[in-house]
Amino acid sequence: MVNSTAEEIFDPSVKGAALKAAAAGNFDVLPMFDRAMETSSRERIRAIQLEKLIAQVAYTYENVAWYRDKMNEMGVRPEDIKTLEDVRKLPFTDKNALRETFPYGLFAQPLDKIVEMHSSSGTTGKPIVVGYTKHDMAVWSDCIARLASMAGVVPGDRVQMAFGYGMFTGGFGLHYGCMKLGCTMIPAGSGNTERHIQMIEDYGTTVIIATPTYALHICEVGEKMGYDWAKSTLRVGLFGGEPCPPALKAEIESRMHIVCTDNYGLTEVMGPGVSGECLAERDMQHIAEDHFLWEIVDPATGEPVPEGEMGELVLTPLDKEGIPVLRYRTHDLTRVVTEKCSCGRTHARMQKVRSRCDDMLIIRGTNVFPSQVEDVLAGIEGVTPHYLIVVDNETGLDRMTVNVELKPEAFSDSFEVMDNFRQMVAEKLKGTLLVGVKVKLVEPGGIERSVGKTKHVRDLRK
Amino acid sequence: MSVSQISVFIESEPGHLVRVLDSFVEAGVNVRGYSASDTGDYGIVRFIVDNPDAALAVLRDQNAACAKSEVLVLRLEDTPGELARVMGIIADCHINVTYSYSLISTYIVLSVNDVAAAERMLESEPVELLGQDDLAHLVA
Repeated sequence: MVNSTAEEIFDPSVKGAALKAAAAGNFDVLPMFDRAMETSSRERIRAIQLEKLIAQVAYTYENVAWYRDKMNEMGVRPEDIKTLEDVRKLPFTDKNALRETFPYGLFAQPLDKIVEMHSSSGTTGKPIVVGYTKHDMAVWSDCIARLASMAGVVPGDRVQMAFGYGMFTGGFGLHYGCMKLGCTMIPAGSGNTERHIQMIEDYGTTVIIATPTYALHICEVGEKMGYDWAKSTLRVGLFGGEPCPPALKAEIESRMHIVCTDNYGLTEVMGPGVSGECLAERDMQHIAEDHFLWEIVDPATGEPVPEGEMGELVLTPLDKEGIPVLRYRTHDLTRVVTEKCSCGRTHARMQKVRSRCDDMLIIRGTNVFPSQVEDVLAGIEGVTPHYLIVVDNETGLDRMTVNVELKPEAFSDSFEVMDNFRQMVAEKLKGTLLVGVKVKLVEPGGIERSVGKTKHVRDLRK
Repeated sequence: MSVSQISVFIESEPGHLVRVLDSFVEAGVNVRGYSASDTGDYGIVRFIVDNPDAALAVLRDQNAACAKSEVLVLRLEDTPGELARVMGIIADCHINVTYSYSLISTYIVLSVNDVAAAERMLESEPVELLGQDDLAHLVA
């Protein structure tokens, strides 16, 4: 494969140069916002984390009564934090803490030091509100600048915002971060798709920020208008606001001739930018480890799981002034690896979050995630991606049945062939889930398709 | 002289077999015999019909898991000992019957590994093999 040059990467008329360079392992031509920090040794990253953690815990204890009370109750003092592992002595925080203390109960600074507020409505109950100091905004922008850079965005890029601004963290978060990187912001906001396309054409927009579904909509409307994406100046899509399945991303990349990445974050700890996707391994996202300490815990017990294993992501922002949050339980399931990435970055990588703890099942003491079932089925020819997990304990013991939809072409008139097929699926599931399951084959289309969040689990245990 | 059999994957749930049968009625497909076997969770239902291609088309339209395979159909006299006589011939020819079921009246279906070889062997035997055309005019 011919290596792309740095010039080609940023030449909008050379389509796919950044992906080609990444595929060839030629990461030297791709940008990195803070090379010194992003390629630091693991030892140095841990040293930075420890120094910041000690200061952050002391700061939190001193300035937030809610945490002081919690820590006093648990009998833990700031000076007990001497190693990174000591973070486990600290109390967890969940979304309820932010609701209970709404609006300003967790603020560690007087409001005149807060330069911006954002909120998240949440699906139930009270909203939560977060406040950022000038320093917090600088850290946030730094994180965004890193992830934009990972996607190949460089100073001088013209970045068109198709998120709504407002209280949602996505709009302003990406806006400030891309400005920090040195881009020109085009704050179009959400809606009016034809106008978006016109603006791309008129202003020579090179980067679009949107939800992936809206990006696809822009793509389709453009195609109908006769806009030729292959000749567009657009080069990069920065996605967020909703999960971005790989197939959707691949479709947008090929139809719009752009590179698309997404990132992870949540309002409670900052907003977007906690981790971002580089072009090396697209299912993984680099955590900004100098700003966030991550833990992966067993969602049921809160105890750490061995490195590399799936569990709940717990985040402690390490230098947050407005709302210093300790050990925030994200309820998001992922796994983290710390080996150096082929892109050159040394910061740990978390797998893209595809399921939440609420989805987790405990089968005879083993944690099982529906996303694992999904992964196994995706690798088996002859079954569709649709499935239903049924759990019961009629016999006294947990029993898990996975209903799997047969593809018409996988059918055989022979019971022997069908049963071997069924057993093969069961073996593959067992290999990944580490718990025996029964597989029930169902007719094509036999698993109910529901609009919105598909219900993958029926738990009948009493 | 072999006959096409249509097999369908059907879950062991009320209403699933009838859905297939209703679609046959709608397509004007006439069932001349069938066998439904199950494993507890799912079953394979095998049909001998007058128009297998039409049956297959209507099943594929519904995205059903189905297949067409070749089987033998023999006509038996409705007399005591006839089934034993015919199966005796099959055994003497060393033809292994995977499964077998009867159609309307005294017709039976045999699924064998090598349909063509079995046909050749049975041609010279005192059994009556039926073809697809005969099935359209079967009288019970």
